[in-house]
Amino acid sequence: MMDGASVVDVGRPAIRRGTLSRSLRGGLKGGEYTWAVAFVVPYIAVFVAFVAYPVVYGLWMGSKMSLYRELFADPIYQSTVVNTVLYLALGVNVKMFLALLLSGFFMRPGWWMKVLLLIFVLPWAVPQISTFISIHWMLNGEWGFLNNALYTLFHVEGPSWLNDRWMALGAVIVSHIWKWTPFWTLILLAGRMAIPLEIRDSARVDGATGLRGFVHITFPLLANLYLICTLLSTIFLLGDFNAVTFISGGGPANSTHVLATLGIRDAFEIAQPRLGVAAVMTALPLVIPLVIVLMRRLRTAEVQL
Amino acid sequence: MSTIAADARLSPRALSRAYSSVRRRRYLNNAGTLVLSVVLVVWSLAPIYNMLLISLEPEGDVFTDHIWPKAPSVESFWGVLTQGHWYLEHFWRQFANSFYIGAMVTFFALLFGSLTSFAIGRMRIRYGWLVSHAALLTYVIPASFLAIPFYRIMQNYGLADNPWSVIAALVAFATPYAIFVFQEYGRSIPIEVDESARIDGASPLQIYLRIYLPLMAPALVAVGTYALLLAWNEYLYQFLLLSSKASMTVPVALAQFISSDQSPWNYMMATAIIYALPPVAIYYAFRRRMAAGLTMGGVKG
Amino acid sequence: MMAYLTRRSVLHGSVALGATRLLASPHVAKAATSTATVWFAQGFVQDEDVALRKAVADYEKASGNKIELSIIPFAPHRQKVVSAITSGVVPDMTMSNPNEILQLFAWQDKWLDVSDVVETQQAQFSETALLAAQAYNSVTKKRSFYGVPLRAAVVPCHIWGSLVEKAGFRTEDIPKTWDAYFDFFKKVQDNLRKQGERKVYGLGFQVTANGVDPANLFNAFLIAYGGQDIVTKDGKLHLDDPKVRQAAIKTAGYLGGAYRDGYVPPSAINWNDADDNNAFHAKLMVMDVDGTLSTEVAVKDKHPEWYYKDIVTHGIGYPNDNAGKPVPSIVGVTQGLIPKGAKNVTVAKEFLKYFIQPKVIGEFIELGLGRWLPVMPSLAKSAFWQNPKDPHLRGYVQQGLLGPTRPDYYVFNPAMAEVYSEHVWSMAMIDVAKEGVKPEAAIEKAFKRIEEIFAKYKIA
Repeated sequence: MMDGASVVDVGRPAIRRGTLSRSLRGGLKGGEYTWAVAFVVPYIAVFVAFVAYPVVYGLWMGSKMSLYRELFADPIYQSTVVNTVLYLALGVNVKMFLALLLSGFFMRPGWWMKVLLLIFVLPWAVPQISTFISIHWMLNGEWGFLNNALYTLFHVEGPSWLNDRWMALGAVIVSHIWKWTPFWTLILLAGRMAIPLEIRDSARVDGATGLRGFVHITFPLLANLYLICTLLSTIFLLGDFNAVTFISGGGPANSTHVLATLGIRDAFEIAQPRLGVAAVMTALPLVIPLVIVLMRRLRTAEVQL
Repeated sequence: MSTIAADARLSPRALSRAYSSVRRRRYLNNAGTLVLSVVLVVWSLAPIYNMLLISLEPEGDVFTDHIWPKAPSVESFWGVLTQGHWYLEHFWRQFANSFYIGAMVTFFALLFGSLTSFAIGRMRIRYGWLVSHAALLTYVIPASFLAIPFYRIMQNYGLADNPWSVIAALVAFATPYAIFVFQEYGRSIPIEVDESARIDGASPLQIYLRIYLPLMAPALVAVGTYALLLAWNEYLYQFLLLSSKASMTVPVALAQFISSDQSPWNYMMATAIIYALPPVAIYYAFRRRMAAGLTMGGVKG
Repeated sequence: MMAYLTRRSVLHGSVALGATRLLASPHVAKAATSTATVWFAQGFVQDEDVALRKAVADYEKASGNKIELSIIPFAPHRQKVVSAITSGVVPDMTMSNPNEILQLFAWQDKWLDVSDVVETQQAQFSETALLAAQAYNSVTKKRSFYGVPLRAAVVPCHIWGSLVEKAGFRTEDIPKTWDAYFDFFKKVQDNLRKQGERKVYGLGFQVTANGVDPANLFNAFLIAYGGQDIVTKDGKLHLDDPKVRQAAIKTAGYLGGAYRDGYVPPSAINWNDADDNNAFHAKLMVMDVDGTLSTEVAVKDKHPEWYYKDIVTHGIGYPNDNAGKPVPSIVGVTQGLIPKGAKNVTVAKEFLKYFIQPKVIGEFIELGLGRWLPVMPSLAKSAFWQNPKDPHLRGYVQQGLLGPTRPDYYVFNPAMAEVYSEHVWSMAMIDVAKEGVKPEAAIEKAFKRIEEIFAKYKIA
């Protein structure tokens, strides 16, 4: 076999590739078919044993109609929904955008980049109970580290960061971004590295560097991955209660609760788990469209190289 | 750069102007990199620095007025390593449990995820899309609320207080995500690569092992790190499914500290810092694998 | 309906039986040996766990039965119990963490009736403990004993003597009536400010909508101002009682007002349960009203001088109300519980009967170094609690056991647990503290929500 260049032929027409794939689709012959099935069976077994039942049980838990009436009567339900939407919209999008930019930054060579990436990964690696509690204490208005630093270094009296609804919610969103951007940066970095070197080199030769290169070459190739990551991140974030619980505690005055923390409170503090599940289920109208888009995305044709 | 030097048609003045603009661009570039680097370091480390400060406080006070360690004491770190505080009595045992669970979750999530993604995305098994779509169901209800049903089925399967109950639950959560990322990542590997191997007489297993996995190396590292950290720092399922001190993990040990309104916070922070080091070290060791994608744009020999 | 089984009413009936039981050897099932699973929440000091294991081991030796004991950290234990009860896979015995799950799940008919266990020591228990062990079951529509009282906690006031002195006062000067008592600390803060202490605050009121502290604080004031009958023993809500309304308004007014006037740390509005302890520990507050002696016990080893000389809890006690009469304290009682569907009820009950023998439970509690209170007045007379050298234990046991006490309101009606969980009282305090709302309006809003919640829990 020659080196990679012959395999990755930028100019190859798409049609011939389509023909090949079409013939492969569902057209596996005998022995290969057995292999394929063998490859898929382990996950299917895990799914049936450990996902099908809990999810169905969970859906059942949230199926009593009167739960929703009770939920909507909760005085903080409306503000909780608003918070959840903000948390998801800002948390996910700012984070993914930063990850996209930083994944490009970290492509640079050099030992300093390696060290920097390692430092950058720390927020994600350190257990979140500890980091979020640390942030909670850091943001204390009178005695926290942040205000101490502001005063010692700049002689500025910082505000009480967690005393105001929007600042507290902001702190929660920023903390979430702080923790998770490294992870998504790694994923997108892997995605960038997947772009064969030849494409990047030939793009550079053609003068498509910097912003032009990004817009015309890199981003189209990353787009699908970016979208999938955004959707998955949204779904994950919906169930995340740690940031709110440890940083703002849902306060001040219950103003920064999100559906997940409301659900946890109902499930465990007043011993009504079904009500807790119902709280998160009210986000299903949001989740289901996301899931459908995700499914569609997984079906689209291959990216044109 | 080469383009500039190669162009002999430029006058010496234009040439030097071009060179200095390149120099200026590079200087701005480096300055920009420096600024961004500093911002990233401060941003990433601030809360962790606070944790360090607290861990060095002899009183475990979290509210102070100084931003440098005033009277640092490594008593807390020593306490963790020697299991000197009673919350940390079984620290090393729990540490080993965390490793075990982390390794198993990573291994199986990568194994099942890559096998499934290979079968669906490369081998194009009929109805493969059914599997990947069904996998999405896993995420419709957030993990924190599936905890109660999970608790029940683990009892039913006789896996109570068994690390495999946690491993099974976490593999079930991590694998769909792995499948999606692998499928997406695999799009940039042309199907011809598999085809030519098939023509050469390779069996699907050989294609999977010799071609697919090496080419997927960066994605394997990224997803593997995700699975490892998911298992490493997860605590809700570890609380619920593990009861005895012998089977517990460090995140559960950390949870003890938040049980009381009066805890030795310096010990908690020291534990968290020590506990965070292995995954970072592992990631660092595997970082080269991620770079493997740079050199392996195609099939070699 | 739900006739309360008080110590007095049952005493007459079963005193003979009780006496025999007390004198007999540990309650053992001499039948075939079997195993019971027990879940206990982890203690706050190691010695508590050691003491528990010892009691379990002693029982195993005496009875020949085995106990599979799981000591689970506090927070996960709560989640585990809820998961177990919901999924139907339950241990044979556990304890109430938090205490209101006794009443919350009893309402749903999820606990086993344990009247027979409680009867064995009925004469020993305090009235408050017996009340707290009972709950209303909405399925059987009756009240009964669903818990076995084990230990208790109360909410004292904690004061830094050194800060009081720094402000130029003596701890003996602290007034003994309610409003004057708390106003005193405002003066302390004023004096400390004059000395340049910017960061110290006089009153550590937990004016927050987070954790359990705010409800405890509000209750203490509510009772002191005369609103103790907000929920009566029959589980009925009395918001229309003018005394209750007045007391609630005064409470919200005082607590919110203290914040508004700058005597409470501004960050208090979003404290969690540990933040006030952290601030107190770092001497950033002069006093706070916080449950148990955890503050003191935490410093005993490293700073005995703080424990013995500096922190004051009880030369003073709860101040009297403004008319000079003693104020009852709310006591939270930890109960042993047996879930419905437990596999080995016999051994679970046997173990509980063994455990609550005064000698056994007394030793268990004393080994916890004073974090928990006994629920049997006879145990309060021991050398441990009456130790003249210890400045805190005598007062603590006086406040929480020997003096006037009452159970928390969710004992009478679990709806109150939901009120606490929604932090209804906190919202009222914060409205006054931060939003400039008048106490009357804040309490009006709070009362409305409380009525809505109580409407979900109708007691026949």
